[in-house]
Amino acid sequence: MMAWIPFMQPMNALQSTWYLLLIPMAFGIAVIYRALREESYATYWRSVVIMTGQIVFGIAAIALALGMFVQFVIPLLNQP
Amino acid sequence: MQNTKHQTNLDIVGVFLSWVLPGLGHLSQGQKRRGTLIMFGALFLVCCGVLVGGIDAVDHKQDGLWFIAQVWCGPVVIAVDLLNQWFVAPLPTSERATLVGLSHVNEIGTLFIAMAGLMNFVAMLDVLQSEGRQDLERRLGEGVGGNT
Repeated sequence: MMAWIPFMQPMNALQSTWYLLLIPMAFGIAVIYRALREESYATYWRSVVIMTGQIVFGIAAIALALGMFVQFVIPLLNQP
Repeated sequence: MQNTKHQTNLDIVGVFLSWVLPGLGHLSQGQKRRGTLIMFGALFLVCCGVLVGGIDAVDHKQDGLWFIAQVWCGPVVIAVDLLNQWFVAPLPTSERATLVGLSHVNEIGTLFIAMAGLMNFVAMLDVLQSEGRQDLERRLGEGVGGNT
């Protein structure tokens, strides 16, 4: 196995599970956005978790809808 | 006629500090908790991006449009780009192959850092139009006091 140098070489082990990286990306975005918008630290981390979930499920839903459209609707349109 | 609008203080120095290091503009305004969280979030995204995509995730020559979004995160992104240009770009193709991200990891690494830059741009706009906003921890104190 070839050695992997973190922060220098790309993490090619994640090629097949790249979509899971949506979760930390949504988390990072939510941390910054909620820091700007939230008015109380008491509810801050709860808001971060909720927003992370909203982003992840929103994008997953869009992906599902587009997948259904490509798999089922477009073949129907192509039928004579 | 009485002007009911608040007079907005444009904090140019704060904006520049926000670009130099994400969150620094809020820290300079005394919003320590908010600034620290912005700094954590932006650096988290940049570190994840470089970790996933390698230093090739920032490349102003090959990915110029992405670099426009990434550079809002400040000198840290420029430093990664310089490292890429100095150490990776001049290498022969056979040696570059292990250092250049391909397909998804390159895309996601680039996207992580672009998101950090764009979110920091939003934070810079927030610093620019500061109207004496209170920090999160001050509001927490008020909220706790009000609830008890």
